Amino acid sequence: MKRVPIISPAFLLSIGTIAGLLVIMQALIMTEIVSPYVVPLPSDIAASFWRVIVEEGVPGRFAVTVGETFAASLLILIVGIPVGLLLYRFGKLRLAFEPWLAAMAAAPLVLAYPLFLVLFGRSSLTIIIIGFTAGVAPVALKTIEGFTSTRRVLIDVGRSFRLTPAQEFRQILLPAALPQIFVGLRLGLIFCLINIVGVEFLINLGGLGQLINDLAERYDLPGTYAAICFVVCVSILFFAVLDRGEKWLQRRG
Amino acid sequence: MIAERDIATSVAPGAKPAPSGPPPLTVENVTKRFGEGPTALTAVDSVSFTLDAGEFVSVIGPSGCGKSTLFHVIGGLSDVTQGIVRVENETINGPHPAVGIVFQEESTFPWRNVIDNVAFPLELRGVSRSERHAAASHYIDMVGLHGFEKRLPSELSGGMRQRVSIARTLAAKPRILLMDEPFAALDEQTRLLLGDKVLQIQQQLKQTTLLITHSITEAVQLSDRILIMSYRPGRIKRIVNVDLPRPRTSDVVSSPEFGAIVADIWADLREEASRGLQESERGQG
Amino acid sequence: MAATTRVTAAPARLNLSVSAIRVIGAVVILGIWQLLALSGLFFRDVVPPLQNIAGGLIKLLGSGAFYANLAVTGFELILALAIGGIAGLVVGLLLGSRALLSDAYESWLSYLGPTPKIILFPVMIMLFGVDSGSKIAMGAISCFFPIAISVAAGMRGVDPTLRRVGRSLQANSWQMFFKIELPAMAAPLVNGVRLGFGVAVIGTLLAETKLSNQGIGFMIINAYTRFDMPQMYALLIVTITFAAVVNAFAERIAKRFGGAGSGRKP
Repeated sequence: MKRVPIISPAFLLSIGTIAGLLVIMQALIMTEIVSPYVVPLPSDIAASFWRVIVEEGVPGRFAVTVGETFAASLLILIVGIPVGLLLYRFGKLRLAFEPWLAAMAAAPLVLAYPLFLVLFGRSSLTIIIIGFTAGVAPVALKTIEGFTSTRRVLIDVGRSFRLTPAQEFRQILLPAALPQIFVGLRLGLIFCLINIVGVEFLINLGGLGQLINDLAERYDLPGTYAAICFVVCVSILFFAVLDRGEKWLQRRG
Repeated sequence: MIAERDIATSVAPGAKPAPSGPPPLTVENVTKRFGEGPTALTAVDSVSFTLDAGEFVSVIGPSGCGKSTLFHVIGGLSDVTQGIVRVENETINGPHPAVGIVFQEESTFPWRNVIDNVAFPLELRGVSRSERHAAASHYIDMVGLHGFEKRLPSELSGGMRQRVSIARTLAAKPRILLMDEPFAALDEQTRLLLGDKVLQIQQQLKQTTLLITHSITEAVQLSDRILIMSYRPGRIKRIVNVDLPRPRTSDVVSSPEFGAIVADIWADLREEASRGLQESERGQG
Repeated sequence: MAATTRVTAAPARLNLSVSAIRVIGAVVILGIWQLLALSGLFFRDVVPPLQNIAGGLIKLLGSGAFYANLAVTGFELILALAIGGIAGLVVGLLLGSRALLSDAYESWLSYLGPTPKIILFPVMIMLFGVDSGSKIAMGAISCFFPIAISVAAGMRGVDPTLRRVGRSLQANSWQMFFKIELPAMAAPLVNGVRLGFGVAVIGTLLAETKLSNQGIGFMIINAYTRFDMPQMYALLIVTITFAAVVNAFAERIAKRFGGAGSGRKP
């Protein structure tokens, strides 16, 4: 791992670019080259941040989105890992259905949200199920990959110490597969969260996604922009933390 | 083959007390074939030998001579086609608890630090944490990794990781240590130094050891006896007693006696190795 | 009843070929579906029987409205891919060849990449109107990220030895790019376009379901409001199958260019 000092030229450049863009925007809009009715002043957006957070109940909405994501992730965990394990255990099943899982992982399933709406009603359940559908396939796929890529010699070491099948699973297969399973969970969580926020926005229900839709429908421009910035910031933070966490895990693996 | 064993015990210098009870390891007429019918490949062909308590024996041969197959059979990791392997008069059927195995490939658990890797066999037996850590520390010191207990394998060099594997195997207190080219992936200098380490351990524990190797110097440096295998089918071609004095260090490689034994073995091995090379080249073309 | 056949399929696996297992799997799934449809547990057409879905498919593929809307969505998608793809290619090449730019911007790019783009839709409506413009913008933004990230990684992954070969033969920078770098990074490039296409479909069609009066996305949400379930199923089947076929096709091309399905990173 190369360690980049915090105040590097690259860091200054990236911060400078963002600050510069904001200043240019501010200037363009103040001189009305860009209409303030299309893009509000960055200073207005910044000013309405606090208003949106307090008046629109952002902490509560945040909790709703996190809760839905948590529930969907739990479902993904409970279904995805056992499915992966089952397909790993029975080679023929794996040959038959792994391509199906891969196709499912790549398919734009979120487009079926009206269908889920019909099946489960306009409720949190729909959102959770969509999050689950989006994230379960990669978790199952990575679980299979993790188990099958366990190195032969580690299994032989286990045999040489005469492990029982349960011990072999617990002491060798599971820890060897764990890094890959975590990669899968990270992917699953990402897909899950994207789709949950997106669907909240689309069906105007629940947490942060709905907030943006709400403000947009009220033509509260600075509020809409502030809410979008808020969600983008939260997700950048979330992905950055996840990224660091995975690198840390990989160093151990 | 019975005569062979008599020679070994009578000639072996530094004479240990004559072993009472059954020999630790008996390999009797072991044959291993892969496949069926005319395409079947005989990897190991009627190999027999015996290991005495405290003895260090090497099996040497060119690549493709079936020595790794022999290793897997003795380790109980694969079945024999014919013949039997006995550990202390008990015919093996799968890995035997008295046999400790060190593999050629990197085999430390990447998710456990050094001390937990070494303590692994004790953990399986339900030894308490403090006790197994104390025992593991002992073996970690023995392989010269004191101070690295809390490191993860990814933070160690290849040679250090292989020493962790050896310590892990020793921690199970095997009565027979079985090693398959444990230093094959390492550079020459590291191999010699690790050879020293193995010699020290050998002298300390009087560990009965069977080493599979393709390195003549390594075999001569470490062994009491060397079994030379032929290329396809893998048979024992000759047995060489190494009468170099013990305790040995890696300095022994510069002695003229050492050179003589190496030259003697090379004469035999060259024939097998070039036959193997020819056959594999024919297979390519 | 159907569930037990699935369980017994596993022990008998030695005698069954892979395609037989697949057929059994498909039959089991469709059978369960049909049973649920006929059970009357669901409200009206929510789980329509298979013959109704097939009927919906035939009706859909035979209607002129479908092709008119398909043309709209296809036009939006092609423009979105062109705009987002060219922007992604340029940005990716810059990031991939300049370490300073990569250090400054690439982590932003990779963290922004997975944020749900659809929430930008209100902004796109303000900027580009309620018609095709905002849909194209959604598609373009969606596919920009994976293409830029893949191209940057691909550019960095070009074997330096190949560049040295080019320099030793006095290739100028155009030749260097078209004769050496571009062929060397063909696999990640195709892979980026594949991923970009997938998210562009999602971005464009989701935007159409949110606010529009034409396009496949509009047809889907329209079928939902009219509660025409067979048509909705038919539309979803056609769309998802189309996306899956394009994806599989692109994956095959990427493999032909030298592996790197999705996992391999330089």
